[in-house]
Parts: sequence; C-alpha cells; structure tokens
Amino acid sequence: MFELQKVDKVFPGVHALKAVDFEIKRGEIVGLVGENGAGKSTLMKIIYGAYQHDGGQVLVDGKAVRFRSPRQAMDMGVGMVFQEQSLIPNLTVMENIFLGFEKQFVNFGVIDWKAMAEAARHQLNKVKLDISPSTTTSQLSFAQRQLIELAKVLTLEERVQGDLVILLDEPTSVLAKEEIELLFELVRDLRSRASFIFVSHRLDEVTDLSDRIYVMKDGEVVDVVNADDANIDSIQREMVGRNINKEYYREEQQSPFDTSKVLLELDSVNLDSRYRDISLKLHAGEVLCLVGTEGSGREAILRTIYGLQRPDCGRVAINGHSMTRFSARKGVEVGVAYVPRERKIEGIVAGMSVFENMTLSQMGNYAKAGVLDIGKERALAREWIGKLSIKASSENADCGNLSGGNQQKVVLAKWRSGGSDIILLDHPTRGLDIGAKEDVYVMVREMSEAGIGIILVADTLEEAIGLSHTIAVIKDGEIQKRYDCQPGSKPSLYDLIQYMI
Amino acid sequence: MSQFMTRENLQKWAPLLVLIALILFFSAANPNFLSVRNFARITMAATPALMISLGITFIIIMGSIDLSMEGAVAVCAVVFATLFLSLGGVLNSWAWVALPAALVVGSIFGLINGLVHVRLKIPSFMASLSMGFVGIGLSLLMTGGDRIRVEDPIFRSLLTERVLNFPLMVYFAGLALLVAWFIQSRTRIGRNFYAVGGGEELAHASGLNVNRVRVIGFMIAGVFYALGALFAVARIGIAETATGYNLMFISITSVVVGGTALWGGIGGVWNTLVGVLIVNVIANGMIVIGLPRYVQDGVLGVLVILAVYLSTDRKSLAFVK
Amino acid sequence: MNLEKLKRHFPWITLVVLTLLVGAMDPNFLRPHNLIQLAGDISTLFVMALGITFVIYIGGIDLSAQSVANMTTVLATISLPLFGAWAGVLCILTGLLFGAVSGYVTTRLKVPSFIATLAVGGIALSVGQYASGQRALYMDATLRDQAFGWMIGTTAGIPNELIIAIALLLIALFVQTRTTVGRALKAIGAGELAAVASGLKVDQYKIMAFAISGMFAAIAGLLFSVKLAGGSPTLAEGFLLPAIVAVLVGGTPLTGGVGGVLNTAIGAMIVAVVRTSMLYLEIPATSQQIFFGIVLIAAIALTIDRSKMRIVK
Repeated sequence: MFELQKVDKVFPGVHALKAVDFEIKRGEIVGLVGENGAGKSTLMKIIYGAYQHDGGQVLVDGKAVRFRSPRQAMDMGVGMVFQEQSLIPNLTVMENIFLGFEKQFVNFGVIDWKAMAEAARHQLNKVKLDISPSTTTSQLSFAQRQLIELAKVLTLEERVQGDLVILLDEPTSVLAKEEIELLFELVRDLRSRASFIFVSHRLDEVTDLSDRIYVMKDGEVVDVVNADDANIDSIQREMVGRNINKEYYREEQQSPFDTSKVLLELDSVNLDSRYRDISLKLHAGEVLCLVGTEGSGREAILRTIYGLQRPDCGRVAINGHSMTRFSARKGVEVGVAYVPRERKIEGIVAGMSVFENMTLSQMGNYAKAGVLDIGKERALAREWIGKLSIKASSENADCGNLSGGNQQKVVLAKWRSGGSDIILLDHPTRGLDIGAKEDVYVMVREMSEAGIGIILVADTLEEAIGLSHTIAVIKDGEIQKRYDCQPGSKPSLYDLIQYMI
Repeated sequence: MSQFMTRENLQKWAPLLVLIALILFFSAANPNFLSVRNFARITMAATPALMISLGITFIIIMGSIDLSMEGAVAVCAVVFATLFLSLGGVLNSWAWVALPAALVVGSIFGLINGLVHVRLKIPSFMASLSMGFVGIGLSLLMTGGDRIRVEDPIFRSLLTERVLNFPLMVYFAGLALLVAWFIQSRTRIGRNFYAVGGGEELAHASGLNVNRVRVIGFMIAGVFYALGALFAVARIGIAETATGYNLMFISITSVVVGGTALWGGIGGVWNTLVGVLIVNVIANGMIVIGLPRYVQDGVLGVLVILAVYLSTDRKSLAFVK
Repeated sequence: MNLEKLKRHFPWITLVVLTLLVGAMDPNFLRPHNLIQLAGDISTLFVMALGITFVIYIGGIDLSAQSVANMTTVLATISLPLFGAWAGVLCILTGLLFGAVSGYVTTRLKVPSFIATLAVGGIALSVGQYASGQRALYMDATLRDQAFGWMIGTTAGIPNELIIAIALLLIALFVQTRTTVGRALKAIGAGELAAVASGLKVDQYKIMAFAISGMFAAIAGLLFSVKLAGGSPTLAEGFLLPAIVAVLVGGTPLTGGVGGVLNTAIGAMIVAVVRTSMLYLEIPATSQQIFFGIVLIAAIALTIDRSKMRIVK
C-alpha cells in the first residue's frame, strides 16, 4: 500500500539515496537499520514529507504522490514519531497533540478548550496515559512525552480515512525496559489500524518487533530479511558492508604504548548533570576509547578535558599539572586538541581558507606583536597539505568547499602542527566514506606511533574495538567496565553491549 | 513551602514584586507619590506605551522582535489626523471614519513588515528597523515636518473626561488589554504564537503554517500600534512624525522587564501590564523625588540589560549575537 | 555558484553604474573637484560605518553608534576649554568604554547585541543630555582651531576630513587583514563555534569589536562637532540608518564573516552618490528616510547568508 520505487536523493556533494526500493504492507511492522550516514534519516524524511525525492516514485495505493511538506504527508496518513522530542515544552499536552490541527475546536478563531481537552483525553487513552490534558508538557517525564508523541500521531486515525503509516525513529533510546515493552505492546495492538516503520540501533529490538527488516548502507538497500530468519551477526556485517577484519582498522600497526609516561589523569571527576566519579589515565601512544550509548556522558568527558566544561569536583591533571582554570584556550596551551563531532560547525570555519583554518588555534606562533606572517602560515599549510595528501586546489581554497574527509584532515593538521600531544577525537569518521575513514584510521595509528595520546569516541563499536588499546564502557555517566584491547585478545561486541545498556 | 520558592516561581512573580517594591520605595521617599491623582497621571502617561507594548508582546512571544513601532505610530497618527481634519474635524460627523482607518493603516503597515520579514527571509529586527525608517520618512513626507493639531473636544474627551478620577482613555486601554488577553488565551492564533516561540521547527514539523502565524502576528501588533497612536494623539492633541518618539525603547523595555523572554514562548499580556507600570512608575517616581527626566533613558537602558540578564538561562545558550 | 561569485563584485559595480548614471544626468558631477567634495562630505558618516563594520563582521549589530556620536559632540564641546587637544583623547576613550560595555553585555550577560546596544545607546543619550543640559553648545573658534584646526580645511585641494577618513580606513584594513585580531574576528563571524573549539578567546575578541565600533563612533562625533563648532545631544541624528546601509550595501552581510572595511568604503560612496542623485532628481530630503529604508531591506535580502540561519526569527 505504501511503496517507494527507485527513489533517488542528491545533496550537493552527496548521493544520499541511490534507487531505493521500499515497500510496506497493511498492518506490517517494518524495521529499518543501517549505520550512521547510511541514508536512513533521508529516507524517512522523504516518507514523511520533509524532503522531496529527486528521482523515482512514491506510491500510495499504487498512485504516485509527492509530499511537499510534512503536512501533506499527514493528510495522506503518514505520520512521524520523532526521536528528538518534537513537543513544544511551553504548551499544554492537548495543545501539542492538536498543534496545527486545532481547526476542529475553533469557532471564529476562538478555541473551545473543553472540546479539545475531551478529544485529547481520547487520544491519551489510546496510549494508556492517564494525565490531565492541560498539563504543561515540560513537566512530564521523557517516557510520558514519548507516548504523547505517539498519541499525537495517532490523531491521524480520526483525521484520515485510508491506511496509516507511522514512522518510529529510535523511540526506545530514552526508555526503560518496562516502558519499551509497553510501547511494543501498543504498537502491536495498533497494527490493525496502522503500519509501522521502526528505526533503531538496537538490532535485538528490531528483530523482536518487526516483520521484515530493511538493511541500508551508503544510500542503498543492501538486503531485506524476514524477521523470523534474521541473524543479528549477518545483518551487522551487511550494515558495515564488508568483513570487519583486522586490516580495516590497521590492527597490525597497533603497537604497545608507553606505560611509563602518563599524559592525562582524571581522578574522581564529577559533573553532576553528565557524569560521576570518572577516573582514568591516558599514556603516551595510547588509544583510549570511551564506549557508551548516546547521552551516556562520553562527549561531556571530552569537553571537560578540553576545557569547554568545568567539572564540579575532582582532579584533572595534564602532563602532571593539575588544571585549575577550565577554558579551551588553556586546554590548547597545555597541548590538548579537540576534533569535534560537528565538523562543519565546530571543526572548520567554512568561508576561511585552508591555511587560515590550520593556524587558527596557534596564531600566536605565526605573529609578531599581533601582526601575522602570512607567508609563514602558507608554507605551513603547503607542508601539511603534502604530508596528509589533502585534496585542495591550494592553501587558499575555502575549507567549506572541501570534502568531509579533507576537512577532517585539515582539522587534524591544525592540531598536529600546533604540537598537541593529547588528541580528543569525537566521532572522527562520522559521515565520511570508506576511503576517508581508512585515512583517518591510518592517521590514528601514526599519531599513536608518534607518542600522542588519543581519546576516542568512535562512530561504531567495531571501530572502537578495532582502534583502541584500552576501552572504558560508560553507562549513565559512570565507568562500568574497562577492557584491555591487545591485538588478538580484543573484547567482542557483546562484551561491550552488556555493560552499555 | 520550599516548593513555592523554586527558580521558576520566583521568575514568574519577580516583576510584580519589583513593581510593589518600587511603589513602596517611591511612597516612602515622597508621600505625594501614593495619591489617586498621581496614579491617574501614571496610568495616563502609560496608556499609549501600554498599547505599543501589548502589540510587541505577541511578536516577542514568537521569538521575533519589532523595532518599527515609532514609524508605525507616526504613520498612523498622521493618517488619522489628516483624514480626521479633512472629514470635518469633529467626531460627530463622518470624521469618525478616521478612527477605524487608522487601525486599518496600522494593520497594513504590520502586514508589509511581516511580509518583508517572512518572504525576504530577513531577521525581524532588521526588517522592522528598516520599516520603521520607512514609516518615519512616510510621515515626514505627509506632514512636511509640520504638526497637525487635533482639537475636537469630543475626541480629546478621552483625556479630559474623567470617571472616578481616571481619564476615559485609561478605561479604553483596559478594554484593549482584555482584548489582547482574549487573543492570547482563547484564540487559535494566540496559542500559535506560543507554539512558534516555544519551538518553531517543531511547530512547522507539526504542520503549522509558521509564516502565516508570523505575518498575522505583525498585523495584530500593527493594530495595537495604531491604538497607541490614537491615544498618543488624544493625550497631546498633536499628530506629527515625533508622535512615536522613544516608544520603541520604552515598549521593548516594558515587555522584557515584565518577564516576557526575548527568545519567545514565555510571558504574556499581564506581564506586559506589569512591565509598563514598572517603567512608568520609575519615570514618574524619578520626577516625584526630583531627578531630571533625561536620566530616564539611561535608567531604562540599565533596566533592560538587567531584565534580560536575569531572565536568561545562560547555560542553555551556546552563543548570542 | 556564479551568482555567489557575482555577489562579491556587486557593490563596486553598483557604485560605478550609479556614478555614471548621475554623471549622465549632469556631467559636472564627474568633475574631480566635485567627487572629492562628495567624498569629503561623507567622511564623518563613513568613519562611523567603519566602526559598525567590525561588529557586523562578527555577526552582531551596533545600534548605539549614533547615540555615542551624539554624546561625543557634547563631551568634546564641554571638555575643549578644559583640556585642549586632550579633549579628543578623552572622547575616543569614552567611545571605547561605551563600546566595551556593549560588548561585555552581549558576551558575558548574553543579551542579544541589538538589545544590548540599544540599551547602551539609551545610557549614552542620557549622558549626552545630562552633560549638555539639553541645550545646543558652541565651541570657541580660536580654541577649536588651536586644538583641532587640522581636522578641517584642505590640504592640496583635498579636505582634511577625507584624509583622516582614509588614514583610519588604512589602519582598519591593516587590523582586519594582517593582525591576529582581524583573523580572529573573521573566524568568529564565519563560524563562532569553531573559533571557540579552536581555543580562541572569543569573548575578548567580540568585546574588542564592539569597543572598536564605539571608538570609531566617537571619532565620527568628534569630527562632526569640530566641523560644526559645537555639540548637542541630537547633533548626529540621522546618521545611524545611512551608516548601517553603507556597511550592508558595501557587501558585509548581517550574518558576518565576509566583506570588511574596504567594502564599507564602497558602501559609503554609494550612499553619497545616491544622496547627491536625489538632489539632482529633486526628490525632497524628507523622502530620504523612505528610500534608505527600502535600500536597507534590499541590501539585506541580497547579501544575507541564509545557510547560516536555520530559522529566521
């Protein structure tokens, strides 16, 4: 009843979806899995009308349609339950449920609050939530809000005559076990009325709930499997697209680090809202991987070490000196480098040239009394463009126009040329294609060889296992377990996952 | 008990507490402050500013800003006065048409303002600043820099006629306040302002036509600016380019001081009433205790900085431009 | 892509076309003497615009410049008999201070710059009114000529004001292109979060930009007050709009990071030519506001970088 045929989507520089075929039958629950950047979210956005496809067709009951806005998709019965909570915090529950569709309760522009509350109660019953419709949304728990999101989408039931398609984007990521079960039960109950597309990182949940599973990689559907004969290992392999062997992560180049030289030491560091009682040591040449789910506190730890976030208590010592002031400037001064996840926003300055980006953190080294020696800056940039084989027309090229991989190299060159010896990598391979990823892996090994300490928050668990000397598993802001990852005796995915969730 | 002392509650009631404290302070400094006559004076002075502030309250709730009110008020005032005089100059003739005409002009001004902001995708503070300049220029063009006197006793009775010691215009302003409250709490458009201010992208994803809401918001604001212009003309008896002088600063200060946050979603018309009273009590109080009037701009400046500073949850902001 | 490239050249093409158009209407307009005169007349406004450029360059806005300039005319007039030429230094330092306060309020207290500068402008207005007693003040001609005579008059046929403006432009250009401060400001305008993550002391640089703006506004006020031999809290009224227009029309968009002081020079000349053309076309002075208001809208609509704004508030 809902079908995509050879759907294409192209963004400047990225072919996000390549001839994707996708079908969902009445009352079916379809799983959608893939690595970050595989094209899942683009696909979903086309389905619920946030993006328009460039090629191929979207068919509803065999008729070609084109959603110009989420609103149009909703009118055709397609609704989205957002992962990032899409409720407006300052509005009441009922206002949120009927946002954009208040018309039924409005006479001459005036809202009939009683009627709206009544209707809202009806929707809340559907998701078995017993709260007053006039509660302000910001006062509710995450799980309650997630259910209200669902209730909001379920208003389509009354509004739309035909079949419904409901997208669930990572609905379980903030829920506790019992809440997840409740949600699954609801979804199964509702399939008499609606079909579901279920997106999740947790493959066990996907195989548990779905009837069929689409596996995506690099903008393509690489496999469709029936949940009954689904094998988590093989799906995993298909998502990555190759056997994750030792060669891919350059494991043979992993050499032991220098245990005698401690670069960084955290001693019972706390930041109440984010993490608690974090103690760890980073040695010269060590790759230390922080593993955990989204929101487990990994990023906050990196940002504290760099100086962007001040901890509440505990000791942070860098190269033997206890830090008292926390600022990025201070972090840079003592030799810490930060490669942020949001490369285009925090990593490089688009609109500035390659050489300007490279010296941004170390302008003092290229200036006398505040006057820049631009010739010297350019020479440095040319040197590193050669060293890391950065593909740029020249050192004057606008960094914003480089490909993701080359931008990442510019960021790394910025820090390495500045002589940083502790490098914090936050999702350094996010959004890169395979070749660029491998370049990053090679650079990680080189830096490790050169005695630089690296703390890595990896994009995938495999990447974490493959690259690291040491792994610290973090859950809810606390370190649960540490692993030693010598080549040949690395922990498995399941070793890690059991401590993550 | 302590649950009433939360940061949230404190922020909610702080403006009212400040107002009460100010009244107590000025009364202590000079007992004459606390008289019905003086209160009538304060409310009368506050009336035009209250209208402007109500208008911009809706804009600020949406997270936008409007800096065009001085121009809008000038245009409305001049159009009203010109039309009023040309149709006879007394209210009990066809000249009454000038009253609704002024409101229509205000809404058209707001419409253009909103369209420039939404269609050309220009940040509202720049779009409205430019439109404000256009309005000032327009009124200059119409008057040639002259003042237009409106001396019709019936129209001026808004000021001269008193009921229970308060001039008529204060009651009309109260009525406008109730209308604004009705819009805010009972109408779809009013609630949509809060939705846009609380999360524009989310509102859009929920199928709300955000651009339409914005444009209507600017139109409603325009109507309130026109009301402000009418009261201002009634109060002084003169319509000119300078009728709106300094109203931009005072009204934004009032709204912000009243506790409506600049980034939208929080606050409302009652906050604005309190804010307008705070600003006017300070202005009046300074005169009562013998401070020169021109200090007011500086005090307002400090006040607005303080109000925004205290109401900002700085941790949630990455950076501010 | 081509449109983007063309955008950069838009300002000077506009200037040339406008100049030729006005020249076609009245060939006298193109005489060097007239053009120099024109540039001389705009120089005060240009100096103010030069300062505002730094703030817009980092993605902010300075609405206090006019009030600061107003205040300076009063302070200059009052302090001249007391301090002589040192009055100039006093004025510049005051401007610097007011700008720095705006910067502090925006960066540390996180008040959006248009509100912060509006508020600081209110403070400057009060100071100006207080100091002047709400009257127009006059400078003693001999004292003025002794202290600031070099600011007025001409050298080799070129108005001294223009020479000062060009000197200031060169200094500003050097700061913008060759110093760490200029580079940091560019980074902040183009990508503030990346600048923070690179360890720049972003707040300090931003405060500096506002301080520079305040300083230039004060210099503009000083020049103006010397030229008119007096001061009043409303002397520079009508400067703010054309000054912002000059910056934006010159090609420094509201979103920051591109353009710069050279662009503002072109923008200021566009403003000058437009003003003159209004005289030739016999458009009344009263419609200038409307015209510049519309030009402002058009300039922002054309130059603004919408990819930097996820939602336009």
